[in-house]
Amino acid sequence: MQQEYLTIALSKGTLLKPTIGLFNQINLPVDGVTPDSRNMVFSYDAQQIKYIMCRPTDVPTYVEQGAADLGIVGKDVIVEQGKDVFEMADLKFGYCRFVVAVPAEYRDIALKNLKYKRVATKFPVVAEQFFKSQGLQVEIIKLHGNIELAPIMGISDVIVDIVSTGRTLRENNLVELVKIMDSTTRLICNRVSYRTKYNQIQPLIETMQEIVKGGSTQCE
Amino acid sequence: MRNREIPRGLRDLLPDEVKVRRNIEKKALDLFTSYGYEEVITPTFEFLEVVETGTNMREELFLFMDREGGILSLRPEVTLSIARLAATHLQDATLPQRLYYMSNVFRHVQPQVAQYREFWQLGIELLGASGTYADAEVITIAVKTMREIGLDNFKVSLNQMGIFNSLLDDSGMNNQEKEMIRNLIEKKDLVELSRVLENMAIDDGLKETIAILPVLHGGLEVLNRIPYVESNRNASQAVSDLLKVYEALQDWGVIDNIVVDMGVLRGLDYYTGIVFEGYSPDLGYGLLGGGRYDNLLGQFGFPCPATGFALGIDRLALVLKHRDEEPRRFLVGGTDFKTVVQKAEELRSQGYIVEIDVKGSSREELEKRMENRENCSLIYAD
Repeated sequence: MQQEYLTIALSKGTLLKPTIGLFNQINLPVDGVTPDSRNMVFSYDAQQIKYIMCRPTDVPTYVEQGAADLGIVGKDVIVEQGKDVFEMADLKFGYCRFVVAVPAEYRDIALKNLKYKRVATKFPVVAEQFFKSQGLQVEIIKLHGNIELAPIMGISDVIVDIVSTGRTLRENNLVELVKIMDSTTRLICNRVSYRTKYNQIQPLIETMQEIVKGGSTQCE
Repeated sequence: MRNREIPRGLRDLLPDEVKVRRNIEKKALDLFTSYGYEEVITPTFEFLEVVETGTNMREELFLFMDREGGILSLRPEVTLSIARLAATHLQDATLPQRLYYMSNVFRHVQPQVAQYREFWQLGIELLGASGTYADAEVITIAVKTMREIGLDNFKVSLNQMGIFNSLLDDSGMNNQEKEMIRNLIEKKDLVELSRVLENMAIDDGLKETIAILPVLHGGLEVLNRIPYVESNRNASQAVSDLLKVYEALQDWGVIDNIVVDMGVLRGLDYYTGIVFEGYSPDLGYGLLGGGRYDNLLGQFGFPCPATGFALGIDRLALVLKHRDEEPRRFLVGGTDFKTVVQKAEELRSQGYIVEIDVKGSSREELEKRMENRENCSLIYAD
């Protein structure tokens, strides 16, 4: 773990732009951090701040292990991985929701009739927990992308996926049957860093919370 | 070659690693002994009923059956076993009893850095003593142990479970809701915490206080930020308990390493009063944890106040690479074995580490063998 520097793991991809926007507002350095930059580490000596650029799914790991003190990552990734990290603030951007979706011809099926069906998903933990909480047993099929393809090709009856506008579902002739949960971007923190770097971290969290409270709309 | 594999989450430790650990252990055990603590050894596995007294960690247990049909569990920690030991053997003993242990414990966790399925704990238990000075003694020993083994820059976070528990009792929440709030604070899931609190029909002052607890961290001044506490008798009592322990730690010269942290709610279910956890900025995981557990021994039929802590040797070894200098090392060889052995004995009696060449090699062969050895000198007895 870095002793003086505060290290923040940033999610590459769609979350990066709003993250930079937020950092601009709270006067964290962002020189050179752009979505198309190929640098993996950005270091700002004057402010004692370091960013590491990660795949979103890797952010909780870097933070849990203490390689980064803080991380910016979607709630969807956090719940699926169940890592031991502190969740300090809801940054409100990057809204999406976990849904159960079915081919359009089954739009009226009752949830309980999904028992023993095959469920394709990138999020086996979330999917399994949801169906279990409904008292339903299903067969989970873990895929890594293009989940919409699974029912079309007949390897699953149902999918669990994250959607934001729902366009991809419609394009693939799928309909949202039920929402499992909402997800937005969160600020996460390493358990030990929060205590050993409290004087650096706590003010930062409070500033972020202030900005977020005043700014964008709540998703729920 | 399946016969070379070991189960996930377990490790072999080679001499250099073991030296680092033995160094930590020796310093800690000497310190415990100097405070009057004496070692006990409990069985490696216990009946499930013992392990599940006061804790709920079934998912992390390694369970198996004995041939009579009893369910056994490899010990996931040692405090429970010591509570059982005390209830079995120490009911007539003079109190307080000061006990320490060093043992391996087993938990079915996802293996990764600093998370092993078999790991080693060193700990003390002070049985039959309540009050400020018992708490302060145990915390002082925790701090001094860390100092003694050469860790600087570490912090011990201090809290009193009673503050939080009394506030929750005041709220009229049911047990399930309390458990949920406790989990959220312990995990510091502030987002979910504020959402859950928002939907609860409880006093606003209480809501604000619960919401702020997880981020209260610092010196005594943090206690001024929870004014609601004054309206709750049990909570104020817990605060004054915390104050007294803090003052004692000040008097005993360990306060530099102490912070007050209202978010420390230890995961194990049996804590009742002062609780604490130790951290180093060099490792993303906690190094030690402990606190007061006044109701646990009673559950074994021996009502008796108690406090203690355990520290993780494996995690300390990750932070501390240092080991003490060893005595100088010699390799003694020669043509006449009697002389070789005599020379070796002579050097050993002077406190050196001495190996003898059991193969009867020539001087040249031995000189060659010495080339890649450090801190070792050759003596060839002709």
